[in-house]
Amino acid sequence: MKSRFTAAKNVFIDSIDIDDYIELSSAVTAYQQLEHSIEKPLKMILLFGRPGTGKSILLNRIQNRLKHQKEIHYFDTPTSSEKEFYYKLFKVLTQKELPSNTEINFSALIEFCQNLRGKREVVILLDEAQMYGTEMMEKIRLLSDTRAVKFIVSLHKTEDEDLIAKEHFQSRIWEVIELKNATKEDQTAYVHKKLLKKNLFEVANSIKAKDMKYIHHFTKGNYRECNKLLFTIFEICEYYDRNEPSKVNYSHIPNKIIEMAALKLGYINV
Amino acid sequence: MYDIKPLEAEWKRYRKQRQKPWYIGGFIFLILAIVGITFFGNVNINMETFNRYFNTIKNNALPIVKEVKSNVLLDDALETLEIEKPIAIETVEKEPESSNVETVDEKESKSSNILVDIPILENVKQPVNEKLPVDRKKKVHIEIIETSSVTAYKDVEKRFLQSHDIDDSLFLAKSYYKKGYYKKAEYWALETNKIDENIEDSLLIFVKSKAKLGHKNEAISILTKYISKSNSQEAKNILFKIKNDTL
Repeated sequence: MKSRFTAAKNVFIDSIDIDDYIELSSAVTAYQQLEHSIEKPLKMILLFGRPGTGKSILLNRIQNRLKHQKEIHYFDTPTSSEKEFYYKLFKVLTQKELPSNTEINFSALIEFCQNLRGKREVVILLDEAQMYGTEMMEKIRLLSDTRAVKFIVSLHKTEDEDLIAKEHFQSRIWEVIELKNATKEDQTAYVHKKLLKKNLFEVANSIKAKDMKYIHHFTKGNYRECNKLLFTIFEICEYYDRNEPSKVNYSHIPNKIIEMAALKLGYINV
Repeated sequence: MYDIKPLEAEWKRYRKQRQKPWYIGGFIFLILAIVGITFFGNVNINMETFNRYFNTIKNNALPIVKEVKSNVLLDDALETLEIEKPIAIETVEKEPESSNVETVDEKESKSSNILVDIPILENVKQPVNEKLPVDRKKKVHIEIIETSSVTAYKDVEKRFLQSHDIDDSLFLAKSYYKKGYYKKAEYWALETNKIDENIEDSLLIFVKSKAKLGHKNEAISILTKYISKSNSQEAKNILFKIKNDTL
């Protein structure tokens, strides 16, 4: 027999599936800010925040929403080589495949982009941009200078990445959008909405404000951590439900289980 | 699926660790509370003991026969008893009649003994009102030193409230009169008289206290009425003393 906690557990599998996007007040604000920035004549836009604050899903969502209105492309994983990046860029800009046994001349690419100015505006969403090398970022900057290509660069916020931002791009015209960890209220809404989206009403009701306070304490409002913790919580619940049902309280998640999950994930240590 | 058992064991260790500060805090609080209660609760007793000890040494090193301990707070009026010199009374029943008319000055002159016997509910020679549900028990004499008798008097008062024994009330009336606490003496004489109106001592202490408190006319009036009924010689003597202000 399938436990109710199995479905709940699967809700919190970490993904950037656009169907799993949850509208939260803070996310709506960030989305509107980003959408508004894209409309501005800016060369580059920096989207940054700590890992797990929802940058990737936000880029996905904006690409999904604007794909019929704009030439907007999402580059998810940074390419391993410069060459590969140019291939992708070539395809986006020319809407053609690169002929085999050919290479891209960067100067020619810049020239091509300059010719596009005023005719087309291509928006490229660069996720995980902290993984691009300094030289690569410099070329991206040069491409953005043509004003035919607009880059939205998503960076993890760490001390090093702040340095990248400062050194290479601060002199450019920038719009900076920072995503922060969720507040307790936002995180509560996030968890409940996620469960309700899958019709898990009883499970959603079993997570009380007190439990969310505890969960927020452990995850510091980070969505990815929250997903991990809730996945583990429901996995433990699922185990008890199947093997020791007396230890499961269906009306609320016991603190014991939250703490066990936190121990498992290393949020707390003995 | 996780191996839940080790995780549960880890959680138990975690819970213990987390609760430790609470246990320690609770223990410290308990210790502090006990120390606090012990310290503040014993301040009066200790002070009393010290005072008694030093006063006793001062008063020709009179022996401390027995300490009477109590947590009862001292009555303001009774506190001064501690500095007065001790008086010897073997028993209340055997107390000479003349002691009833002693003044504070006279009392102070008789300070060689330090023991006071307090009668406890038994073998009372005086008539007792039979209506009272008083248990007659073995006779016990509590020997107390005068300086600690304050609390002993309190004990007797408490005991009286339960037993309504005229021995106790009469003892208190006489004692307070001797100490010069006429208001208290009057009260306890009246209490005795309420229980048994045939006890002449209680009436005499009552009128003497009245006279000492300045209600001379009232005292004379009561005594006159009593003498007309009883023709008591002692009452006549006291009436004479009151009239001549020689009480």
